[in-house]
Amino acid sequence: MKLRNTLVALVFGMFAASSLASSSLEGRVAPDFALKSSTGDNMRLSEYRGDVVMINFWATWCGPCRQEMPLLDELYSRYNRVGFNLLGVNIDDDSRRAMQMVEELGVNFPVLFDARKEVSKLYEVEAMPVTVIVDRSGTVRYVHHGYKPGYEEKYLDQIRSLLRE
Amino acid sequence: MTKTFISLIAAAMLAFCVVAVAQDAAPMDADSIAAEARAAEAAEAQARGEFRELDEDVQALKKEVLDLNRDLFLLEEELLFPANSQVAFFLSMDVGEYFELDSVQLKIDGKEVANYLYTAREVDALVRGGVHRVHMANLKTGEHELVAIFTGKGPNIRDYRRGATLVFNKGIGAKYVELEITDRVRKQQPEFIIKEWE
Repeated sequence: MKLRNTLVALVFGMFAASSLASSSLEGRVAPDFALKSSTGDNMRLSEYRGDVVMINFWATWCGPCRQEMPLLDELYSRYNRVGFNLLGVNIDDDSRRAMQMVEELGVNFPVLFDARKEVSKLYEVEAMPVTVIVDRSGTVRYVHHGYKPGYEEKYLDQIRSLLRE
Repeated sequence: MTKTFISLIAAAMLAFCVVAVAQDAAPMDADSIAAEARAAEAAEAQARGEFRELDEDVQALKKEVLDLNRDLFLLEEELLFPANSQVAFFLSMDVGEYFELDSVQLKIDGKEVANYLYTAREVDALVRGGVHRVHMANLKTGEHELVAIFTGKGPNIRDYRRGATLVFNKGIGAKYVELEITDRVRKQQPEFIIKEWE
């Protein structure tokens, strides 16, 4: 009985892991969107065609986001000059809280506000954070759900390989 | 003694045979190497030719895919928006000194159908004379109400929100509606006009 339960748990675990690991977005053209940014300007994804773009969905209530954002900011500062862009899409209802956190963490990448949750729906955001990496031709190449220490190494490898393409 | 002599003769003949075989073998090796080199060259040339052909095929295929994509797009548009019920809404800007466009929201018969945020580049394109198709819809013949809400920065960089309404009659055939933002210099205010194209 115990063995059966373990097997069932294992099968469910594998199913959950596979559903988290792959995304239906990978290989598809990244859905275009325009959002208001923290500077007051509107930003549209398609205007970054030709650059490698990372879209990071985050929220103030998400602990791993807080851990991840300064590391993403390092990547942004290092590779921005060679055609890498990072758009942090905040999904909080109140953008003021998001701005507070941005100031607190001292990150410099553009932060956009998706208070209507239209963009997060478009990108099937079901976990927090979600990091989508789009190549120079506008195709979604990698989707990462959640964050664990060490993910930044994966991001680094993927960004470097996409910049070389 | 005779035995030794016979052995010597046999050894000499054997040596002669070996030399002859070696002499024969040497030119044969050179010939075969040359033949092999020629064969390799021919194979390489053939492979190059095949590769070029393959490249051309890929290019032709790419072009076909692009053509097909265009045809499908046009077909889809024709099917989704038949000319008879089609209504298109365009936005244009003239000068734009008193208004910095941020977004436009369109409502048809009370229902929100479009909400478009403009980036600085898009506004720049509009100021330079560009026209943007904000929305395309299928509408029944008859009377419809269009409400356009423009948001942005007005004179003195103040937040500005203005609405404009047009009641239009949709007859048979396609209809085009233009939302025009112009500067009213006398009042130093922007002006929002909605007009139907004849």
